[in-house]
Amino acid sequence: MENSGGFSFDLCKRNGWLVEKGIVKPPSFTKTGTTIVGLVFQDGVILGADTRATAGSIVCDKNCEKIHYMAPNIYCCGAGTAADTEAVTDMVSSQLQLHRYHTGRESRVITALTLLKKHLFGYQGYVSAALVLGGVDCTGPHLHTIYPHGSTDTLPFATMGSGSLAAMSVFESKYKEGLTRDEGIKIVTEAICAGIFNDLGSGSNVDVCVLTKGHKEYLRNNLMPNPRTYVSAKGYSFSKKTEVLMTKVTPLKERVEVIEAGDAMEE
Amino acid sequence: MKKEHASFNPYDNNGGTCVAIAGADYCVIAADTRMSSGYNILTRDYSKVCKLADKCLLASSGFQADVKALQKVLGARHLIYQHQHNKQMSCPAMAQLLSNTLYYKRFFPYYAFNVLGGLDDEGKGVVYTYDAVGSYEKVGYSSQGSGSTLIMPFLDNQLKSPSPLLLPPQDAVTPLSEAEAVDLVKTTFVSAAERDIYTGDKLEIVILNADGIRREYMDLRKD
Amino acid sequence: MDPKIDSSAPISTGTTIIGVTYNGGVVLGADSRTSTGVYVANRASDKITQLTDNVYVCRSGSAADSQVVSDYVRYFLHQHTIQLGQPATVKVAANLIRLLSYSNKKMLQTGMIVGGWDKYEGGKIYGVPLGGTIIEQPFAIGGSGSSYLYGFFDQAWKEGMTKEEAEQLVVKAVSLAIARDGASGGVVRTVTINSEGVTKNFYPGDQLPLWYEELEPQNSLLDIQTEAVPMSI
Repeated sequence: MENSGGFSFDLCKRNGWLVEKGIVKPPSFTKTGTTIVGLVFQDGVILGADTRATAGSIVCDKNCEKIHYMAPNIYCCGAGTAADTEAVTDMVSSQLQLHRYHTGRESRVITALTLLKKHLFGYQGYVSAALVLGGVDCTGPHLHTIYPHGSTDTLPFATMGSGSLAAMSVFESKYKEGLTRDEGIKIVTEAICAGIFNDLGSGSNVDVCVLTKGHKEYLRNNLMPNPRTYVSAKGYSFSKKTEVLMTKVTPLKERVEVIEAGDAMEE
Repeated sequence: MKKEHASFNPYDNNGGTCVAIAGADYCVIAADTRMSSGYNILTRDYSKVCKLADKCLLASSGFQADVKALQKVLGARHLIYQHQHNKQMSCPAMAQLLSNTLYYKRFFPYYAFNVLGGLDDEGKGVVYTYDAVGSYEKVGYSSQGSGSTLIMPFLDNQLKSPSPLLLPPQDAVTPLSEAEAVDLVKTTFVSAAERDIYTGDKLEIVILNADGIRREYMDLRKD
Repeated sequence: MDPKIDSSAPISTGTTIIGVTYNGGVVLGADSRTSTGVYVANRASDKITQLTDNVYVCRSGSAADSQVVSDYVRYFLHQHTIQLGQPATVKVAANLIRLLSYSNKKMLQTGMIVGGWDKYEGGKIYGVPLGGTIIEQPFAIGGSGSSYLYGFFDQAWKEGMTKEEAEQLVVKAVSLAIARDGASGGVVRTVTINSEGVTKNFYPGDQLPLWYEELEPQNSLLDIQTEAVPMSI
């Protein structure tokens, strides 16, 4: 059968059988066991994220970026399988760029939302990306959550990822309408910290992104609440175990013959 | 939809890491104080190091309920020993007792990963390391628990011990001074806490030497 | 299932949805809870979705599926309205929902109640449950909370109610379901459609009637916690 792009699910049945029989263990993916949040404040949207990426119980990136660029006025926090959040946001952001070239207008948040949900619904939850989408366009500030199965919500404040309950407890007790920029950043940072300290899947630093009409401010590592607690005074040396016995360089033989003769190319 | 039938799982993994290093006249036993389940922290201040005898300390990670049950059994057996022999159990004896206790439950094991550290009859440091069903080995240093895969290679690199197969048998103790060993333990835990989500909050270091037992605490990252 | 939160589980609108006809139009009603397992993913969701100026739909089941179906139907109805040069009828809207629900029944986990008003047939309610059946009914109930309401509606629904009577019936029914069904909660939203147009209403959770053994809603445990008193013998 002719392939026309997209993923191949040919091996799903076989792999399911192998897992069921206990012949193989399915591979683990880099999950951004995550805390991501967003809120609407008086003149825009603030997004927040922690910076830990895990594979099982191992931290595989201590300072990753989970607030992805969608358009100059739209950003998107991603939780779930790292590869999926990265791929889906990259794909949609390039579609938005093309759409801007075509229309010559600023992208709208609803456009990004529709493209994201269309992709995720099409893959029936197999693309595991849980997103918090925020931005400011000609129709005002917008905040949405998108689940892996493709359902979407529109909210004044939202959290996602394994730390979403910890973060939501902060929002539910502190959020109010018409927050100032500084109040908003404070609550977002506090919500992310609740995830960082109480959810093992989340950790390291706090990233914040403030989106206002015609402006964006990406505050990378806005807070670093986990400094190294101890550094040995003497440091450690690692003995060299692989000894170089011989060094010999063999130059590559000239294989291309350069023929000087021949007609000069006409102009 | 797939049919889900109820099943009871008697085990949980509460995480945590233990390290022990034996020196010529000391033994350092250390463990973090975080206890967790899944993605939740149950407590940031739970001691994993248990004093079994005057010169014998046990650090265990795994399933807290099983660890607690194991400690209770060992405590009871040691009390009987004291009544029968009117003395404290030696560290090698306790090591064998722990192995027997674990193997007794070979087909419904204690989900506990242990390192036993102490001083032998000559006052030299000893460390015994175990699996969940009682296989054990006398070593110069060891690490068990969720962060052991990160710590063990570093210890291997820094503290190479002689092969246990050598004849005549060589001492397994490490060449470090007590202060150096404590420094090494702190470094390994700080590094393990960076990469293992189940290791963190606080480090408890217990040092056993001719003067007795000393405890030290140090903060680890809390995320 | 494990009571722990599984954020990858499909989002479902474990729901109470209602559609009622009265003399002159229809009232649609729904709660506002969207849950993932035991976690309330959205406590203020709007499950009464607009399809055209005069037709709305109440969604239940998988949130993703019901959103996609209603998005498609809204799109088809827009085209239809433009081609026809006049508003689409409720029957057409309900039939489009049925068409998608029936032809994709293996993919979809959604039940819907379509309600609206048109000049040919007046106020009409159509139930489109899981497999893609379509039933024109004087009243329809749906979602997990509906099982608590069948008896109530058999008793309380009357032919030829006024708008106010119908709306009060819907609010009472949703609040009854919220009181008994764990998957329903939050606020009650209603949409009333008749020849005059559309009226949307909102009844906050703390202003709903309290039913048998129900407790007054509280913002914080601290409000109801009494001061500790030493025990005396």
